[in-house]
Amino acid sequence: MTIQSNSSLPAENTAELPHYVSDAEFDLRSVEKLTAEQEKIYFASQLTLMWWKFRQHRVAVWSGIFLLILYFSILVSEFISPWNYQTRHTKHIYVPPMGVHLFHEGEFIGPFVYGLKRKLNLETMQREYRVDAKKTYKLSFFCSGEKYNWMGLIAGDNHLVCAPKDAPFYLLGTDRLGRDMLSRIIQGARISLTIGLIGIAISFTLGIILGGMAGYFGGWVDMIVQRMIEVLQSIPTLPLWLTLSAIMPVSWSPILVYFGITVILGLLDWTGLARAVRSKLLSLREEDYVLAARLIGAKPARIIGRHLVPGFMSHLIASATITIPTMILGETALSFLGLGLREPITSWGVLLNEAQSINVVAIFPWLMLPVVPVILVIIAFNFLGDGLRDAADPYK
Amino acid sequence: MHIILKSLVTAGGLALLSSTAHAGTPDEPRVVDFKSLERSIGKRGGSIDMLMAKPKDVRWMTVYSGARLVTYDESFQLAPDILKKVENDGNKSFTFHLRKGHLWSDGQPFTTEDFRYWWEDVAQNADLFQGGPPREMLVNGKMPKVEIIDPLTIRYTWESVNPLFLTALAGARPLYIYMPAHYLKQFHGKYGDPDKIAALVESEQVQNWSSLHKRFGRQYRQENPSMPSLQAWTNSTDLPSERIIFKRNPNYHRVDPEGTQLPYLDQVILNLASSSIIAAKAGTGESDLQARYIRFDNYAFLKKGAEEGGYNVRLWPSGRGSEMTLLPNLNTKDEGFRNAFQDVRVRRALSMGMDRSEINEAIFFGLGREASNSVLPSSPLYEDSYANAWVEYNVDKANALLDDAGFDKKDEDGVRLMPDGRPFEIIVETAGEQSQETDILQLITDHWKDIGVKLFVKPSQRDILRGRVSNGETVMSTWQGLNRGLATPEMNPEELAPVSPIQAQWPMWGNFWETKGASGEEPSLPEVAQLSKLYAQWRNASDYNTQHKIWKDMLSIFTDQVYTIGIVSGGLQPVVVSNKLKNVPEEGIWSFEPTSYFGYYLPDTFWLDE
Repeated sequence: MTIQSNSSLPAENTAELPHYVSDAEFDLRSVEKLTAEQEKIYFASQLTLMWWKFRQHRVAVWSGIFLLILYFSILVSEFISPWNYQTRHTKHIYVPPMGVHLFHEGEFIGPFVYGLKRKLNLETMQREYRVDAKKTYKLSFFCSGEKYNWMGLIAGDNHLVCAPKDAPFYLLGTDRLGRDMLSRIIQGARISLTIGLIGIAISFTLGIILGGMAGYFGGWVDMIVQRMIEVLQSIPTLPLWLTLSAIMPVSWSPILVYFGITVILGLLDWTGLARAVRSKLLSLREEDYVLAARLIGAKPARIIGRHLVPGFMSHLIASATITIPTMILGETALSFLGLGLREPITSWGVLLNEAQSINVVAIFPWLMLPVVPVILVIIAFNFLGDGLRDAADPYK
Repeated sequence: MHIILKSLVTAGGLALLSSTAHAGTPDEPRVVDFKSLERSIGKRGGSIDMLMAKPKDVRWMTVYSGARLVTYDESFQLAPDILKKVENDGNKSFTFHLRKGHLWSDGQPFTTEDFRYWWEDVAQNADLFQGGPPREMLVNGKMPKVEIIDPLTIRYTWESVNPLFLTALAGARPLYIYMPAHYLKQFHGKYGDPDKIAALVESEQVQNWSSLHKRFGRQYRQENPSMPSLQAWTNSTDLPSERIIFKRNPNYHRVDPEGTQLPYLDQVILNLASSSIIAAKAGTGESDLQARYIRFDNYAFLKKGAEEGGYNVRLWPSGRGSEMTLLPNLNTKDEGFRNAFQDVRVRRALSMGMDRSEINEAIFFGLGREASNSVLPSSPLYEDSYANAWVEYNVDKANALLDDAGFDKKDEDGVRLMPDGRPFEIIVETAGEQSQETDILQLITDHWKDIGVKLFVKPSQRDILRGRVSNGETVMSTWQGLNRGLATPEMNPEELAPVSPIQAQWPMWGNFWETKGASGEEPSLPEVAQLSKLYAQWRNASDYNTQHKIWKDMLSIFTDQVYTIGIVSGGLQPVVVSNKLKNVPEEGIWSFEPTSYFGYYLPDTFWLDE
């Protein structure tokens, strides 16, 4: 610092200049010192950072909660659904969605449903249902109802809500065999939400390992992996599916067939991801921190897994969350080709498949209700993926 | 007209020139009795659209057109149609009189030469008919004596009676005993120019002249636009095509009471669409006349769109013996299942193990009848005991029957074990054409759980299924019930006996009969052998009462032995008719035999009021 003032120069030999010396200990870094809040951020683990960033994305949080609830529900599907999804009510075929009432003739009697009177309209050949206000069926909660086998393992008969036998308690209507749509949607979620995950798990593992190897080592490893990808991508999927459907033995249980197909789809689906991983790695492996890690003596697996993959985690999360809905839609597509799930297994794809006919669109629109959870889940996954991707790169 | 004249002159048919005076109708046309049929006199012109799914469906135009040598009249008696007169001498000798001046659609005369050509050069030609003439032409293996009396008269005489002959000629898929000789001779090894045939064999990529003759000479499936025809409309489009145009036959032999030549409609256009969307398309008025590929459960939807689509919907009762049947294959290659299904107790148990009333309620709106695969109540052969044979829903009895038959052990899932130790899991193969089949099978799957039988559905495709059935590869399949649900004693009872390899319950036995013992197997069950014997007797029956008795005997064995497991009969077929299309009867019967679907109701009298 230079002083350029002439007028106020102190006179020579004057007394000591008045000054102040702080008693506090000298702290060299006082300027850089972090506030408690900053400290929290700077020393937070990556996961914590992601969580904070994620929390700011309100829609993503709600989507996440919604999905968590759905995934929890599949643990207790049998308990939540009012009927067994396969129970046929032959006297109640194509019943439109019914409401629950609280008051009967001005009097509060708790949740109940009215009876139904059925008329066969021989003019239009439709079953017409009229509410029979004389009959009331009271609903009970946490009760014993139809027997079921929880996950096919444990016998039980507890339901969240039950109606007396023969009561027309169909919140979302019934289908052509008189099966309760609500129960079918609830139980269909179990398959639809979980089965695609297997395919994704397989394709992710393969994609990251093979793509990572190709990108990190380059050379002949890269060559082999690239050629493999090209061969796999050149196989047309439709004839492949048709062949697969032909070789699966009919006596296999439908769920086994579907597992088989998802596994094979997973085995074929990793190529795109492997390419993306490879190209990312090709650029990232030239970074200084990779060189540093290598000089310290880290093994390739550690360098890829610890230093490189987190570098493009956001990309992986984005593709994962896009793939899950694709798998859910894929199940619908496979069912359409007759390769997906079959009765008596129920999934949203199977339900939608049944709703394809023109009759449904025109006369029984409530059979298309399984579209609603499909759309909601896909949107939720997309929002969640959006939030996660932003959160995975919290320093941006 | 000029073309017709010219071709006549070149053909040397000068004697027939006079016939062309009235726009191509024969000199003695068949005047359709509009009064008793309650039809209105229409006007000519216009074109209607119909929806079909496959190019093969051109065959339905032959069925719908309904021109046959003889046809069924209003009381289901045989009456001449293309023929002017038939003299039947005790079912032994038949004299046919052709209409004078009757021309093929290409203007060439239709004479007994066409009958002679078929009989001598086609039916008895070893290249064209490997196994000899069709069975309907043989009585006890002997051929008829064929006398050509003059260009318009021909006589067929057998040593013994042939009750089958006329009904075969009247069939929905008729026996053709004539062919346009003037056209087909060019492909025939005996008549054609060998160089021309060789060139065609080359360009059409077939093996020899007989394949060529078969390909260009199809009469039931009018695939070849150049092939002359006697039907009301003839195909004018080369296949394959998405839009197949049938044009009116200018030389058709029927006229209305005022002398106007039929058919009224100039064109019938078949538009091909996927079978699953045909109901949707019909519901928007894209078809002027539609019944095929729409089902009873489309009725409410069709009714809803009727006003906007400009059509009305009628419900015609089905004439089938059963809307759907399960066909256990008694000749399957799988020995375990073969033994199982040859045991009548198993067949009866499977029949009694299904809750037909639930199926009726859920699928048929409760309007069907829970009955075996038999004749319908309006048939003169009907008996309650046939319809009710083993159709009662009785799980206990069914279980007892199965226990009795040696299926008394069960695995941990409660599925019965077959005597050879495998679980009793039946794979039912379907043609995969109707979702109704799958729905019904779904219900039966649940019903059969209670009798310890597991059912799997394997949808396939019609032709593949037929092939697998003939080879004995299927264990069980589904098909519709008897085509002749409205049978009269004069109709052919062939569906009740093993006569053809396409009969999915006994393909090998059927093959044995069809090939006259050359391949297949001889029926090993006494009851089936009895059916064959009865059928042979019917073929030799000369009077109504004998035929009646044989039919009843056959029905009684057939239903009691449950060779086919009928589910529900008496279905209803929606028929979509454009408001502009007149003369389509309000009420009819929807059946292949004997009504040829629309054929019996004379579609050539339908006209457009525009």
